[in-house]
Amino acid sequence: MGQPNWDELAEVALARVRAAGAEYGDIRIVESRTETVRGEDRRLAEVRDSRDGGFGVRVLYHGAWGFAASAIRSLEEVPRVAELAVEIARGSASLTRDPVRLAEEPVHRDVVMTARIVDPFAVPLEQKAAMLMETMESLHRQSGIARSRAQLWTRQDVKLFVSTEGSRIHFDLLAVQGELEATAVHDGRFASRSYNTPHLRTGYELINQANLVAEAPRVAAEAVEKVKAPAVQAGTYDLVLDPEHLSLTIHESCGHPSELDRALGYEANYAGTSFLTTDKLGTFRYGSPHVTLVADNTEPETLAATGYDDDGVACQCWDIVREGLFVGYCTNREVAPKIGDRRSRGSNRADSWGSVPIVRIANVGLLPGRASLDDLLADVRRGIYIEGHGSYSIDQRRYNFQFGGDAFWLIEHGKRIHMLRDVVYHDITPEFWNRCDGVANERFRRRYGFITCGKGQPGQSGWMTHAASPARFRSVSVIRGSGDKTP
Amino acid sequence: MSSGLTSRQEFEFLTDLVLKHSSGDDTVMSLWDSIGGTTRFANNQVIQNVNARRVTLTVTVAFGRRRGTANTTELTAGAVQDALKRAERIARVSPEDPEYLPSLPLQTYLAVPSWRAETSSAGPARRLADARRMIEMCQGEGLNAAGIVATSDGIAALSTSQGLRAYEPRTEARFSVTVMDGDASASASNTHRSCDQLGVEERTRLAIGKVKRAGSPKPLAAGRYTVVLEPSAVAGLLSWIIWLLDAKSYEKGTSPFSGKLGQPLIDPRLNLHNLPLHPDLLGTSFDSDGVPSRESWWIQDGVLRQLAYDRFTAHTKAVPPISLPEAPCLSGDGIGDDLIATTERGILVSNFWYLRVVNHTDLTLTGMTRDGTFLIEDGKVAGAVHNFRFHESPLRAFSNLDECTHPAEAVTAETGKMLVPAMRIRDFQFSSVTCF
Repeated sequence: MGQPNWDELAEVALARVRAAGAEYGDIRIVESRTETVRGEDRRLAEVRDSRDGGFGVRVLYHGAWGFAASAIRSLEEVPRVAELAVEIARGSASLTRDPVRLAEEPVHRDVVMTARIVDPFAVPLEQKAAMLMETMESLHRQSGIARSRAQLWTRQDVKLFVSTEGSRIHFDLLAVQGELEATAVHDGRFASRSYNTPHLRTGYELINQANLVAEAPRVAAEAVEKVKAPAVQAGTYDLVLDPEHLSLTIHESCGHPSELDRALGYEANYAGTSFLTTDKLGTFRYGSPHVTLVADNTEPETLAATGYDDDGVACQCWDIVREGLFVGYCTNREVAPKIGDRRSRGSNRADSWGSVPIVRIANVGLLPGRASLDDLLADVRRGIYIEGHGSYSIDQRRYNFQFGGDAFWLIEHGKRIHMLRDVVYHDITPEFWNRCDGVANERFRRRYGFITCGKGQPGQSGWMTHAASPARFRSVSVIRGSGDKTP
Repeated sequence: MSSGLTSRQEFEFLTDLVLKHSSGDDTVMSLWDSIGGTTRFANNQVIQNVNARRVTLTVTVAFGRRRGTANTTELTAGAVQDALKRAERIARVSPEDPEYLPSLPLQTYLAVPSWRAETSSAGPARRLADARRMIEMCQGEGLNAAGIVATSDGIAALSTSQGLRAYEPRTEARFSVTVMDGDASASASNTHRSCDQLGVEERTRLAIGKVKRAGSPKPLAAGRYTVVLEPSAVAGLLSWIIWLLDAKSYEKGTSPFSGKLGQPLIDPRLNLHNLPLHPDLLGTSFDSDGVPSRESWWIQDGVLRQLAYDRFTAHTKAVPPISLPEAPCLSGDGIGDDLIATTERGILVSNFWYLRVVNHTDLTLTGMTRDGTFLIEDGKVAGAVHNFRFHESPLRAFSNLDECTHPAEAVTAETGKMLVPAMRIRDFQFSSVTCF
């Protein structure tokens, strides 16, 4: 991969931007490779090798943005696109009341490469196909399984970022993931149970360690147990949430509200705003003292740990919520000065060469506590243990949410008794996080992430990891997610 | 079509390049090429203004029942042949696919009105002008606006070694605006093949009028209410019915519709058509497999009549393949002109947001109301109320239909374009309330 003339293309683009009198400009030249091996119902439904290359030029002119991009990487197309970006920025400037002033950032010249032991693209396709087929066969050996799914996903992004300020950063980033799912049918109902690795920036060693084939019998058995399980009785329960489940709860109810562009109204027309308005910074009681949520874009293998963001800002680690108090936002160079920050937190990301970078959630994770998982369960008289992701929805200011899950177990007197189905809990975000009275210790910490976080117009997919240990929440309202029987 | 997009002649050249060099038993080449942009504004100023040329050429090669797919975003001869070689390499080592079918031969397609010259020629200046108009209208009323104007021009094309040649220019224009006044918000949006048919001013004016009535919202207890759903809210519910109408899930018992084909599904006054030739919908001539679009009945007098059959499932059931409706129209008897005036007590819902399936078996959804939720009393809007969360199945909701209007254009941030009526529905379940 890679084009020998990327440096030349970058120089041509930025020369046009400088000549036009713009105060800032950058170019990202990207070539992405995605391999998808997708199995469905005992067959390989898709084996695809996708390449996606192009460049995008971003220009700040008289305090207003312009961006133009093209898939055609030629010495004729690059200056044309750079001039179009300038022309667009000039138009934007005619409708700008509050000119953009970028936060300062040192010039960086660097090379960032994902560490890997096993190159996933070098693993023979036959080996991957055979593993997925064996996984699906194993799922179907369980009586009651009607459908199966198994998938491997690999992505490589080779990128060059160059700015008019002098930054020049080469990236060779990798991410992999594997998953499987079984769907059981019983008595006119159906239910699915899944197992997946997190999306992480590693090599194929992640897939080897996960051993999808070995997990398949348990997943299939639990799918059948789930579809036959009694429906939950609506009421108030203590909840013990596993790390994978919490990754989504953190993402929706803490990650998105902590994006400063939302708080400033940039997303009001689509993804929404945030109840964490700037007047609450440093004073708002977001959660109980057990709740410390840290944004860490420096932890190796995590999705947002890319060395630098698409502003060319170095990745950092900072607190969003410290012992329950709201203390920090995810920012980029544009919005950071609006709350008096001298430096961006480095959370500006685009999902491809053709997209303009926007503020994205960082790797926001829940800091481990001191308990063991057994400690958390032992103190529950009537509760529910929830694993994995299910249905999720939240209002456009991130107050009222509801979450399902992938698997649920009734807890009575400190013991997991049996599975439940149709569990949905709902709450108001700060009320929910103030119900947290215990977080398990570092030994139980796991990392899960997302590559499909939707935001922006045109829509983009954001990538980030959310780490957590299991946590307990007292007296949460649970309803039955089965229509006319609720609540 | 914009100059610079792949022409029909260039597409033929690329087809020859792929098909002549392919060693596969069967080869399919598809091409998407587009130029488009979006002007985005918030707090009454432009915050983002983008334009992109995107192209993707995809090659699928089969040896017997073994298939492989690869693509490229470069249209040079070297890159296209590299994609072909990669697809061949994958196909050689892939297991046989029991659902493999040879690609389609030449098809006959409807002449769908999918391209408009005014949209094709609309560039950044036109988008900026529409954005400026919306900002000025809102600013002039002391309101805060956020929104987008987007236009695109593109082509979709498909060729197969069995002789299929499909090539269709497609334009699309879109706008949406959220108008805010303190805690109150209202929104307007539309999508059309023609940027001149969006109704930007007229719809923005309606949103301005609505937000002025949406101030000082009061919390109301959750529970079952009669609701009046505006077309955008109906579109949100209907989309989940449409998206889950696939025959494969139906046959395997993992569809909310399993066993219901030919059975009453919703109120007998309601009909769901696909109307690819309708000038206000975004019909297309063919789907990604080259299967022709056609006018079709999906729900007739409330009875489920049609499922979406992929080519393999269609083959096994001996029916023609058909994709999910891309130009849906839901219609009823349309006798209610003003559903509010005939409502004694209920909730007026302008729009829904963040709809997700909670229970796949009975299609219970959850979601929030958004951008204008009002209490109706004695046939009049009595005032704004806090947004609700709902847990309800569209199958139950559309069975509890009281009255509906004639279909109108509707599109939301989460749905495609469709024609749907406003509806008054009994016993709609709101499960909780939010803080605004």
